[in-house]
Amino acid sequence: MRLSRRRLTVYCVAFLFAIVMNFAVPRLMPGSPVDSMIAQLGPRATPAAIEAIKARFGAIEQPIWQQFVDYVVGLAHFDLGVSVKYYPQTVLEVLGRSAGWTAFLVVTAITFSLCIGVLLGAVAAWRRGGRFDSFVSPFSVVLIAVPPVIIALATLFTFGVTLRLLPVGYAYDPSLDPGLNFTFFGSVFLHAIMPVLTLSPYLIGEFQTTMRSSMISVLGEDYVTMGRAKGLSEAAVMFGYAARNAMLPVLTNLALMLGAVFGGSIVTEIVFNYPGLGLTLYTASVARDYPVIQGQLLLMTIATLGANLLVDIIYGVVDPRIREGRA
Amino acid sequence: MNAGVSLFWRQKKAVAGLVIILTLCLMALLAPVLAPGDPSERVGRSHQPPTVEHVFGTTKMGRDVFSQFVWGARPSLAVGFATGLAITALGTIVGLVAGYFGGRTDATLDLATNAVLVIPNIPLLILLASFAGTVGPMAIMAIIALTSWPWGARMTRSQTMALRQREFVVAARMVGEPHWRVIFVEILPNLVPLIGINVVGSIIYAIVAQTTLEYLGFGDPLRVTWGTMLYNAQNSSAIIVGAWWDIAVPAAGIALVGLGLALINFTFDEIANPQLRSGPALSRWLRLTRLRRRELEAAR
Repeated sequence: MRLSRRRLTVYCVAFLFAIVMNFAVPRLMPGSPVDSMIAQLGPRATPAAIEAIKARFGAIEQPIWQQFVDYVVGLAHFDLGVSVKYYPQTVLEVLGRSAGWTAFLVVTAITFSLCIGVLLGAVAAWRRGGRFDSFVSPFSVVLIAVPPVIIALATLFTFGVTLRLLPVGYAYDPSLDPGLNFTFFGSVFLHAIMPVLTLSPYLIGEFQTTMRSSMISVLGEDYVTMGRAKGLSEAAVMFGYAARNAMLPVLTNLALMLGAVFGGSIVTEIVFNYPGLGLTLYTASVARDYPVIQGQLLLMTIATLGANLLVDIIYGVVDPRIREGRA
Repeated sequence: MNAGVSLFWRQKKAVAGLVIILTLCLMALLAPVLAPGDPSERVGRSHQPPTVEHVFGTTKMGRDVFSQFVWGARPSLAVGFATGLAITALGTIVGLVAGYFGGRTDATLDLATNAVLVIPNIPLLILLASFAGTVGPMAIMAIIALTSWPWGARMTRSQTMALRQREFVVAARMVGEPHWRVIFVEILPNLVPLIGINVVGSIIYAIVAQTTLEYLGFGDPLRVTWGTMLYNAQNSSAIIVGAWWDIAVPAAGIALVGLGLALINFTFDEIANPQLRSGPALSRWLRLTRLRRRELEAAR
C-alpha cells in the first residue's frame, strides 16, 4: 500500500510539532517548573532525581541544540522521563497502566455512536425534509454544541445518584480481582455504561451531520438514479448503493475528531473517576507532574496520527478511484 | 445578500436561536440591575435549596447561585464570543492567503494547517495551561485561538481556490488590480456565508473548550464564570450531597448558549449550502413513487 507523500509529511510535521512544543514550553514559560517539581518530590528528592529533572527541563549548562538532541534521542528509546507524583515510576509505566481503559472507553463509544449516527444520517438524508429529518438533524447539531462536562454531570446525577441504577466511579467493582471471568466482565460492562453514554452524544451528532450531508450529495449521483431505475428496493439502493459510498467522509471526520474525543474522555473520566489517561492527566495537572502531562500529549498525538494513517489506508482500499489511480 | 437575510428570518429555528442568545446577552449586560451586589458575597447558609429569597439556591460557601449565574454570564459569553471571532479571523486569513496565492505559500500554509489539525487540541491546551499555571481569560483566549484555527482555514482555502478561477476574479487581476483589492473586494464578499458558519462554529467550540479548561481548574478560581461555578460545585461534591441546583444552573446556562448557537448554525449551513436544505424535491419524488406503487397494486 503506497501512501501519498504529502500525507506522510503532514504527520511527520505534526509529530515534530508536538515534540518541539514539549521541549520548548517548559523552557519558555515564566516561573520555574523545575523548582516546583523538586518541591513536589519532597523527601524523595535524591540528588539523582534532581539531576534527572534538571536535565530534562533545561536547567543545566548546555547549548540548547545539545539539549534538544538528547531529548529526541531519549524519546527514541521510549524514555519519557520519570513521574514526579509517582516517583520512582517512569512516565511510561504510569501512562501504560491507564491507556488500556481509555482505549476501551473511546473505541466502545466510537463503535456505538458510529452505528447509530450513520444510520440516523442515512435515513434523514433519504427522507430529506420529512418529519424524521426535521427533528433529528437540528437535534444532532445541538448535541455537538453541548460540552461533555454537562452531559457527564447530568448522566451522573440522573442514573448514578438519583436513580441509583448504575455504579458511580472506577472501572470495576474494587472488591473484585481482575480476572478472566464473567463476574469481572459484567462489572466492567456496568461501570462503562455511563462513561460511554456520556461520550456518545457528541459523536452521534457529528456522525449524523456528516453522514447526512455526504449522503445528500451521493443521492444526486447517476449510479443511485440507475439503481432506482433498475427497480431495486428502497433499502437496496439506500444501503447497497448510497450509504456505502457516503461513509467515506464520515471516516475522515472520525480520524480528525479523535482529538476532541480524547478531550471528552478526559472530562468523562474525571467525573466518573474512571482510571484512564484522562484521570491520570488530571491528577498530574493538579500535582504539577509535568513529565506525565508531556508524555500524555505525545501519546495522544501518536494515537491521533495513527488513526489518521489508518483511515488513509482504509480509504485507499475502499475507494476504487484511489485504488485504481495508484495501480 | 438580501435574499439570505429574508431566508434567515423565515427560519423559525434561527429566530429561536437568536432569541436565546440575545436574552442571555441582555441578562449579562443588565447584571447590576438583576442581581445587585457582589456575587462572591456570603448571603445565606451552605447549600440552601431554591427559595423565594434565593431563586436558584446557594452554593456550599453560602453564595447566591442566581447572582453568580447572572454575573458569570459576562466573562463566559465575552471570552466565548471574542475567542470565536479570533479563531475565525486567524482561519480566514490563513485560508485566504493560501488559497489565493497558491504555489509555495499554499504548500507551506496547508502543511501547517493539516499538522495543527491532527494534533489533539484539548491535551495540547492542558499542556499549555498547566505550564502557564492559573491563567486569566486573555491567556485562555490566546491558547484556544492558537490551537483551533485549522478547521476554518481548510474550508476558506478550498472555497478561495474555487473562486480564484472564476471570471470576475481573473478579470480583476487582468485589469491590474492590486492583490489586496482582489482579495478584499472580489473574493471576501463571496465568503460571507462561510465566515458566518465559521464564526458560530468557533464560538461553540470556544465555549466548550473554555468550560472544559475552567472545569479542570485552570481558570482563575476567584473570578465568577460558569466554568468556575461548575469547578467549585464539583469540588464541594454538590452532586453527591444532592445540591443539584449548584451544578444544574451553570450547566443550563452553557447548554442554552450551545442550543442557541446550534440553531443559528443549522440555518447558516442551509443558506450557504442549498443542497443541504430540506428541499421538497426528493420528498415529492418519494410521494410519486409511493402513489405509483399503490396504483400498480390496485391494478393487480
